[in-house]
Amino acid sequence: MTETWNDKSPIYRQLKERVAGLIMAGTFAEGEAVPSVRQVSSDFKINHITVSKAYQELVDAGVLEVRRGRGMFVLDGAKDRLLAESRSKFEETELPQLIERAEQLGIAPADLIDRINSLIDGK
Amino acid sequence: MQSIIKAQGVTKLFNGFAALNNVSVDIPAGRIVGLIGPNGAGKTTLLRCLMGLATYDGELSVMGENPLQNRQKLLEQVAYIADTAVLPSWIRVIQLLEYAEGVHPNFNRQRAEHFLANTDVKLNSKINSLSKGMTTQVHLAIAISIDAKLLVLDEPTLGLDILYRKRFYEQLLNDFFDEQRSILITTHQVEEIEALLTDLIFIQNGKLILSMPMEKIAERFHQIDFNKDQLSETHGLRPIYRSPILGGERLIFENVDYQELTAYGDVATPSVADLFVAKMSKPGAIA
Repeated sequence: MTETWNDKSPIYRQLKERVAGLIMAGTFAEGEAVPSVRQVSSDFKINHITVSKAYQELVDAGVLEVRRGRGMFVLDGAKDRLLAESRSKFEETELPQLIERAEQLGIAPADLIDRINSLIDGK
Repeated sequence: MQSIIKAQGVTKLFNGFAALNNVSVDIPAGRIVGLIGPNGAGKTTLLRCLMGLATYDGELSVMGENPLQNRQKLLEQVAYIADTAVLPSWIRVIQLLEYAEGVHPNFNRQRAEHFLANTDVKLNSKINSLSKGMTTQVHLAIAISIDAKLLVLDEPTLGLDILYRKRFYEQLLNDFFDEQRSILITTHQVEEIEALLTDLIFIQNGKLILSMPMEKIAERFHQIDFNKDQLSETHGLRPIYRSPILGGERLIFENVDYQELTAYGDVATPSVADLFVAKMSKPGAIA
């Protein structure tokens, strides 16, 4: 029943990333409500504290807002803000990791660039 | 906030044998507590004391009531699904609901019928014609319909297939649990409910081995996987448990500074199952 989570980071953080991903993809649109804590808790069989913690971090990050008695809503501009954050994370962390990995595998920088170019052309 | 369960120094002796030995716990509302221990650890004895079904020494209050003196009052707000729960085989579900309505002042029959309407259980069915999974749903229907503030579950999913187990926990979270209620649950299938729990209690030989919220577990216990060639670096470290993994060993630490450990590799939080094995193989420790 826990197949949806990995053990690398706490579940609330993985849930937060997943909700952020769904906002970036437009599944949870700006101005609309995200599923209730109870709903998420029941769907994933995780406790309400975990769900609340994930939502709270998104509130603190200016992505969600609490509307008293009505639930959590996606703020205007949340999608662009999340995309900008993910982009800088990609450039500052994920891209250097990719380069490091290629280095470990003995792939020359020029070959890596060629390979990336041909993948992009092939798209 | 008032405690749902408060036990102080609870001891239960059977002919001089301590099935419970000086157990103290405090469970507030809005918690889902896993009571985990090997067979014969005292889990069911503790649950029976909480329900007023067994005498004990020490202080115990459930919903502010003494279970031995005010059992009837307590049972208005507490529901218990015992692992030995056996409903009469000849009774029909509808008769069972009528009975519950007659004997329990807080039983909401509509709620039970509404809950069962979303299952495969027919009100006209006899208990002996229901599968094990369906019988568990009948139990749950009654338990959630008495507006209990505390639901005690002793191995609720024993013998159920994965679909019914999933369904059971889904229903528990959706139809029963909220921040005014608490659930106390014993199970051997810890992996399945790990993410569900807000608190963890380990019990062994009648003694409390560990009792804390899950957030504290993540602060207190850490785990690192070492490759064979890294193992020489681990001599200065004091893990509470080591276990073999592919190509190396997994070490579990208690009360070792997180920052200190990050120097050795990726630090993770041990699973409840691994933690259970680690704590059970180390006798006598009190968290």
